[in-house]
Amino acid sequence: MKDTILRGRAWVFGDDVDTDLIYHNKYLAETDPKEMPQYSFEYYPGKENFAKEVKPGDIVVAGRNFGCGSSREHAVYCLKYAGVPVVLADSFARIYYRNAVNNGYPVLFAPGVAKMFSDGDEIEVDMESGTIKNLTTGKSMHGDAVADLEKDIMAAGGLIEYLKSKATE
Amino acid sequence: MGKTMIEKIIQRASGKDAKVGDRVWCNIDLSTARDFGGPNCVVQFEEITEKKGKVWNPEKIAFTFDLQAPAHTEKVSNNQKIIREFSKRQGITKVFDVNNGIGQHVLLEHGLVLPGDVILGTDSHMNLLGSVGAFATGVGNTDIVASWFEGTNWFRVPESMKVVVKGSFGKGVCMRDFLTFLVGELGAAGMFFRATEFSGPTIEKASLADRITLCSMVTEMSGKIGLILPNGDVLEWLAGRAGDVVRERVEAIKPDADAVYVEELSYDVSDLEPMASCPDAPDNVKKVKDVAGNRIDQVHIGSCSNGRYEDIKAAYEVLKASGFAPVAPTCRTIITPSTTEVMKQCAKEGFIGAFLEAGIVFTNPTCSLCTAEHYGALPSGDVGVSTTNRNFIGKVGKGSHTYLMSPMSAMASAIRGVITDPRDILG
Repeated sequence: MKDTILRGRAWVFGDDVDTDLIYHNKYLAETDPKEMPQYSFEYYPGKENFAKEVKPGDIVVAGRNFGCGSSREHAVYCLKYAGVPVVLADSFARIYYRNAVNNGYPVLFAPGVAKMFSDGDEIEVDMESGTIKNLTTGKSMHGDAVADLEKDIMAAGGLIEYLKSKATE
Repeated sequence: MGKTMIEKIIQRASGKDAKVGDRVWCNIDLSTARDFGGPNCVVQFEEITEKKGKVWNPEKIAFTFDLQAPAHTEKVSNNQKIIREFSKRQGITKVFDVNNGIGQHVLLEHGLVLPGDVILGTDSHMNLLGSVGAFATGVGNTDIVASWFEGTNWFRVPESMKVVVKGSFGKGVCMRDFLTFLVGELGAAGMFFRATEFSGPTIEKASLADRITLCSMVTEMSGKIGLILPNGDVLEWLAGRAGDVVRERVEAIKPDADAVYVEELSYDVSDLEPMASCPDAPDNVKKVKDVAGNRIDQVHIGSCSNGRYEDIKAAYEVLKASGFAPVAPTCRTIITPSTTEVMKQCAKEGFIGAFLEAGIVFTNPTCSLCTAEHYGALPSGDVGVSTTNRNFIGKVGKGSHTYLMSPMSAMASAIRGVITDPRDILG
């Protein structure tokens, strides 16, 4: 298997998932990113057990405007450090998108993706080609990775790493 | 081709004749963080620089303590200490400690926000500073830390849209109701990544408080920034705080007549009625009269959206019109001014005494009930009314629900103990 191919179980979320549902304001005082996964989706009705049950490699799939709401970077860390390798969504909210890019955390824009999966379906994502497959149903579609400057920042591993690489050029 | 306000602001800050969709690096005029996010920035900066780093310009960095002010958990008190000590080491003097209030409002009052500025902050409602023509944006801690190195950060030049508002508000109706209406009309993604210019006769005569309210919930429509060109009393107030330089700045960001907008909307507020964002989303909007009579357990008036003096005065006027009736014993009522300056004015006008007599808890300035980690958190099953900007399920307590309304509707509801159209009391 190519190392750009990811396989995992799907966790499916709706439209307009705000940051309080991803990482509740109750835990904002946390400053250690590695402590954040234990609170992931605690307030999302029906997904309260996400933090306990998520396995490294599982993939978050969501509708439009994922991560709307707060500027808290916790909402990116809590998935990144839980081992969720990529988030697929119809679209991402502005600040969530920035925070993901700035952390080199992969997100794919895939309009309609939330409708193609049910919880627990097996997903295969080819990060190079953008092909997203539902191995449970056999359906597939295409997702777009970030482009332009964001692609360069992502490739560097995040904004700080990008700035460091520019400084040494 | 002419330029919109955001295009002019980004042109100044980046030195580039940037077009929509371009990615540019902008000089940051002010990089701010709160007692939420701020400690994360410090920890990250110290880690990257092995505690040897110096920020690019201590004069252009500010910290505001408003998440928990004063801190009531050891964790937050420690986080605040991290910021105080870092500021001392770095020579950062703009540290607005627990006795000041909500960050954006404090920065405005201290004359630190100029039209055309590019400002970062760890608060998704930073963009309410668009109420004076600044491009302020909420970002995560990595963005703030990145800006501390060289005083720049990256932006995508957004599409611009225009919302033109005319007409005068009827009795019991205010800018918050228009905003709620707009959120309902456009939905949670209605301003997706865009900059929105608010203009028209209603905006031109609006107070700064009303302009802040309007710009404060662009985030709830997934917009990047809502911008208003300062004029009249607002411009004078701003010049009094930030100096006459604001006049040139306003001229420099005036949109060109042939600027290009992806959408232009116009509204007349004359027939608008009191509106409510119903549980559990800001864009679940109904008329207050259509949900009137619904049970509530708590009312909260305050926040960066509606915590200015004018907002609290509007609530006071409803209380006055009721003959200074006590609030319903079944409805805990909390009022939180946005800043100490606002609180002093409320004290001077005698509002605070009247509120206390009515059985209301009047608190120190802070962000208060925007999080569940604050006084007034709701237990499961309770229903609250609030003038804050978000009512996602469980936001201020697991299993609780919240209606978002204007200060007038909130106060009317507190008095009757059920959701109440303020016109029922104002007559």
